[in-house]
Amino acid sequence: MFEFDLFELTRATVTTLVGLTAVLASLGVILCSSPIYCALYLIGHMICLALLFLLYNAEFIAAVQIIVYAGAVMILFLFIIALLGGKKEIQEPSTERSLAIAFVATMLGELFLSATVGPTRPIEGTFDVQTVAEVGGSAKAIGLELFSRHVVAFELASVLLLVAAVGIICLSKFSYVPVRRRMK
Amino acid sequence: MGHQFVLLISASIFCVGATGFLIRKNPLIMFMSVELMLNSVNFLLIGYSSFQKSMDGQIFALMVMTVAAAEVVVGLAIILTIFRTRHDMDVDHINTLKG
Repeated sequence: MFEFDLFELTRATVTTLVGLTAVLASLGVILCSSPIYCALYLIGHMICLALLFLLYNAEFIAAVQIIVYAGAVMILFLFIIALLGGKKEIQEPSTERSLAIAFVATMLGELFLSATVGPTRPIEGTFDVQTVAEVGGSAKAIGLELFSRHVVAFELASVLLLVAAVGIICLSKFSYVPVRRRMK
Repeated sequence: MGHQFVLLISASIFCVGATGFLIRKNPLIMFMSVELMLNSVNFLLIGYSSFQKSMDGQIFALMVMTVAAAEVVVGLAIILTIFRTRHDMDVDHINTLKG
């Protein structure tokens, strides 16, 4: 009559709390006026998302999220903020701002409607359920998939990273001369 | 947790990121908003990969992370170059190319 699964209940509560924390932290990112606080809120957001990934059986992606995002990318952001000086931004209401907020609010409403009313039932996956259930989201499963069916995408990603590395060397090594000075 | 939770959280984070990109004027914070949007899509991919018991979503999330990392590196280098020449951090003032 009145029965509940304690494990499932705990899991649902934790997932909801972590999800709401992630949304609140993202609000902190866009509402703080000092860039350094924004970066700290973003780190909190990344950690919340990594926890959510863990709760949805993606251990490897959660580890990558912590290492790549909360580690490398956010350290890069903090270094740039330290270099440029975290000047506070005065936020005064303007027409463009209210227009932007109205536009996004409409989009959010539509998304919520489509999420609650629309056809969001899952289709059955073609991948063998049994194999995935055995290996789950571990590094082994990711590696099996990545190096068998997605090997081209994997190699293209490495090319992309190489192009980005060469690009920033070009950007930072050769100093840019403004057009006005060149004209003289 | 059900599909709706994943969809609602993901949509909320995406819209917060879009709002941040539109209302902020500091290019660093605009980049952080782009990161928020990319992350929300990652969460959607992971959630549905878990529901459908398929690995494709996780692989795709990995690819999104790679693209995001490359994008952040190049974007921050561009911001740094602009700052070195202009000493200004407001995107509204960068209008040299405006017709």
